[in-house]
Amino acid sequence: MEGILFPRGVVEGREGLEQYRARGGYAALAKAVRTTPEDIIKEVSEAGLRGRGGAAFPTGKKWSLTRECAEQPHYLVVNGGEDEPGSKKDRMLMEHLPHLVIEGVILSAYAIGASKAYLYINANYEAAIKSMSDALTEAKTADYWGNNVLQSNFALDIELTPAPHNYVAGEDTAALEVIEGKKAWPRQKPPFPVTVGLFGKPTAVNNVESLANVPPIILHGAEWYRRFGTAESSGTMIFSLNDDVNRPGVYELPFGTPLRYLIEECGGGIKNGKKIKAIMPAAPSSAFLPSDKIDTPLDHNSMREAGSALGCGVVRLIGEGTCIVEEVLKISEFFTVESCGQCPACRMETNTLTSLLKKVQQGQGGQPILEQFGKILAFNKGKGFCNLIAMPGPPIESALQLFPEDFQAHLTTGKCPAN
Amino acid sequence: MKTLCLVCQNVDCKNRGSEQLMAELQKRVEAKGLADIEVKSYMCFGACQEGPNVVLYPEKNWYAGVKVDDLDEITAHLAGGPHVQRLDTIDSSLKELIYQLLDTGVF
Repeated sequence: MEGILFPRGVVEGREGLEQYRARGGYAALAKAVRTTPEDIIKEVSEAGLRGRGGAAFPTGKKWSLTRECAEQPHYLVVNGGEDEPGSKKDRMLMEHLPHLVIEGVILSAYAIGASKAYLYINANYEAAIKSMSDALTEAKTADYWGNNVLQSNFALDIELTPAPHNYVAGEDTAALEVIEGKKAWPRQKPPFPVTVGLFGKPTAVNNVESLANVPPIILHGAEWYRRFGTAESSGTMIFSLNDDVNRPGVYELPFGTPLRYLIEECGGGIKNGKKIKAIMPAAPSSAFLPSDKIDTPLDHNSMREAGSALGCGVVRLIGEGTCIVEEVLKISEFFTVESCGQCPACRMETNTLTSLLKKVQQGQGGQPILEQFGKILAFNKGKGFCNLIAMPGPPIESALQLFPEDFQAHLTTGKCPAN
Repeated sequence: MKTLCLVCQNVDCKNRGSEQLMAELQKRVEAKGLADIEVKSYMCFGACQEGPNVVLYPEKNWYAGVKVDDLDEITAHLAGGPHVQRLDTIDSSLKELIYQLLDTGVF
């Protein structure tokens, strides 16, 4: 693998402090504490870094919104909840390159003026928690965080908080609730965490992969960073491939790389030599793409134009012979189970969609049932505290549009076309 | 087909006592010997602000903001008495959405 986060020559396995320093590790931090936080925000903004947790919000913008708040103190929350099924990128980074992540954390805290950072890490990720915990100890001994970071006036405390591993626990405001000792329930927004976040104070919630991009940006500059990727999606992104390809794994690629390259060159193609029926570029919540969109560039604009989204880069393939009704039913059931239950509209929507899909699966409801999906989705649009309510829509609506024959087969014969 | 008496049980309506309401309705239906009426829970009709809601199907009558005190009148309606006009407050477009859903057999 060769990229910004995993450059040529990076060690196999876990990178220790000395190994990280030998390739320029913590030099960005040394440079940063001699400049102003505003300079750091400016560099990251000019680099065009966008969040890698799924929403792709500009990181520099999030930082300046937090920094500008007069209310003190400011907090940084590092989101390593990684609850999307099949996503492995943050775990990979924390296990293998813990110091890169930690240097990004310290730089972010410096930029937003935070004196406390919380590392919110999926409690199932035992190896990642151990790796990060050991790296925190090493970094503190070396004065990279603590009372006087590299003999400067910047003081930073870092604490590790295990994250529950249900889906909504990875939502940014649910993370704040957990750190405050409460249930992992998303908060109503606005106010956004940048103004009213952890303990009611201005807080930047940054994804692990987003922060891992910061040290290379500060060390090499925005212009260097922009050599990777496209104008609107600069840099690289780590994509996760799972058991539906021959070589599952995580692959760092520059934005704009054709989807075909990821699937065929990196993943070794779809398993069992099947033809691809559909591609889900951001499983489980993006729209399906038909197989003829396989040359779509992997960047936010191109994916949007193609009718889908990039999310946090979990790419799923559906092979010929698989029934799309069965697939969307599984997805819908997932969101029904993972809905935290605090917003009535989300419960109503997810339960109703699953009930409708079960009826279709059983061949019941006739043609009128197909018209209900759009009506239920439209009725609940914009409701609910978090984005989960918007997630079942794209897979279901794209499935109806792209593969109506699978729905018809169930409704007319009562049997699954795959069997 | 039996007349279904669907009582919503989403979070808001449960907070407003819809579980107790359903149990009370069940008792009254039994006490009146209404064998062709089935009281059944329903996830949500999308009218939480106006809940608890009782929807009669297939006759398509919708009673909103129902309290235990209203149940005698509703039970009387189920036994062939008059429609309880003052509880019929739901917007017709929402009624249409939910009735179409029920027509597809989702309950």
